This record gives sequence, C-alpha cells and structure tokens, in this order.
Amino acid sequence: MTTYSQEREVNDSPAFQATQVYQVFIKSTPEQIWEAITTPDFTRRYFHGARITVTPESYRSLGPDDSVWGDAQVLEFDPPRRLAHGWDSLYSAELAAEPTSRVTWEIEPQEGGYCLLTVTHDELENSPKTAQSVSGTGWIMVLSGLKTLLETGQPLVA
Amino acid sequence: MISAMDEDGDDDRVFKALADPTRRHLLDRLFERGGRSLTELESELRMTRFGVMKHLRVLEEAGLVVARRSGREKLHYLNAVPIRLIHDRWIDKYTEPRVAALSDLKSRLEEQP
Repeated sequence: MTTYSQEREVNDSPAFQATQVYQVFIKSTPEQIWEAITTPDFTRRYFHGARITVTPESYRSLGPDDSVWGDAQVLEFDPPRRLAHGWDSLYSAELAAEPTSRVTWEIEPQEGGYCLLTVTHDELENSPKTAQSVSGTGWIMVLSGLKTLLETGQPLVA
Repeated sequence: MISAMDEDGDDDRVFKALADPTRRHLLDRLFERGGRSLTELESELRMTRFGVMKHLRVLEEAGLVVARRSGREKLHYLNAVPIRLIHDRWIDKYTEPRVAALSDLKSRLEEQP
C-alpha cells in the first residue's frame, strides 16, 4: 500500500534549487573550522583543490593551476561564527556569465566538543546552471571532506 | 534539532530514517525542489498533518532534512551530507573508481530495451 498520493506534480518545479542548505557536525572548535574555511593551506585539501583566501573585504579562490576560480565581495565577516560572501563560478565561462549568488557559513558550537556547520547557498534564482553545478556532490563533497580533514587530519581524496 | 553524538549513533539515525517509504518519498520531493513548507508536503501525502510532522522530525533528527524559518513558515531542505558520510566510511578512494565503473555498467545494461 502506498501512503502517498499517486498524482503527478504539475510541472511547476524548476530543475534547480535556488536555495540550498547543507549541514554537518564536526568535532572541532569554531576557531579551527573558521581557519579551515578561510585559509588556502586548508581549503586546497578539501575544496576541489582550490586555494581560498578570505579577508574582511574579499574572497579569492585560486585553482590548482593558479587560474582564478572565485573573486567576490565578503558580505559578513564575524569570526569564528559567520561568514557570507558572493559566489561567481569563474572556473567556467558559462557559469561565470550568470549573476553573483551568495554563500553563508554558520558555525554553532554544540555539546561534546562538536560544532554544527551550516552552509547556505542562495540567491541562485537567476543562476540555474550554477545552482545545478554546486548541488548534488558539489557542496556535499566539500563538507564531508572538511569534516574528514578536521577530524582525522587527512584529506579524503588525495 | 539533533544533538551531536558518536558516529554509530549518527549512522543509526540515518538508517532508521531511511527505513520508511514515506520518509524516502519526502526526501524525493525535497530533492526535486527544496524550500517546501509542511503544508505543501502534506498536500501530496494521504496522511494527517501530524503524521507528516512526525516523519519530518525523524528526518531532521537524522540530519537529512534541515528546516529554516522564513517569516511565518518553516521551509524544509534536503541535506544529503550524512548519506555521503556513510558512503565515505566504507567506500574509500581506492575502491571508488571500480565501484563507479560497476554501477555505470549496471545502469547502462538496465537502460537497454
């Protein structure tokens, strides 16, 4: 017996997610997580090889071949709790042509030495290709890699 | 809201949450499009509002659904990170290409008429 309706949904749903929310518990301190998301020596080990530098003003990301993957404004800078920055997928000409979207990182300390890290990628309403490219394994790989790196000291994928 | 616990406790909650067709259906709906309210999710299910709420709570406790407040509404989003962590636990970087090749082969064979 099925408990849910068999009716097909009217085709009102876009094939992309304009707001995406990802969460993971990490056994680490807010300060360590903050460092891991704002310094290139950490980010290259879990963020698709990108070396990311975040200052109160700017977010810059360099690919392994030194090409510019991201160069955006920092919108909120509140270490070690909250960071928001613009997102332009400069690693792809097709994606880079879409409007800038927004990424917000929130770090909330929990009991037992854990923190809850929430990443919200939104303002993607007019950037369907970017939305598709970062969803699925995109952010999921970044967050599972970050957790593994902070909890074991080892990058997940060499 | 989930409280942080050991790895096995986390995995238990994920497997239990997935061991129910209604909850898997809710995840499928949120995979198609996130940011849905309880009212919207409820309208697609032959179930009471309370029943849907209970299922959503199990999914939230397993970390598979994240609820965010937006004005008067609570919007629900799929969070597949816990599933990825289960994947990472048993499928390491050496075996993954082989497993991927096998699952590719399986889907190609199954696609044939």
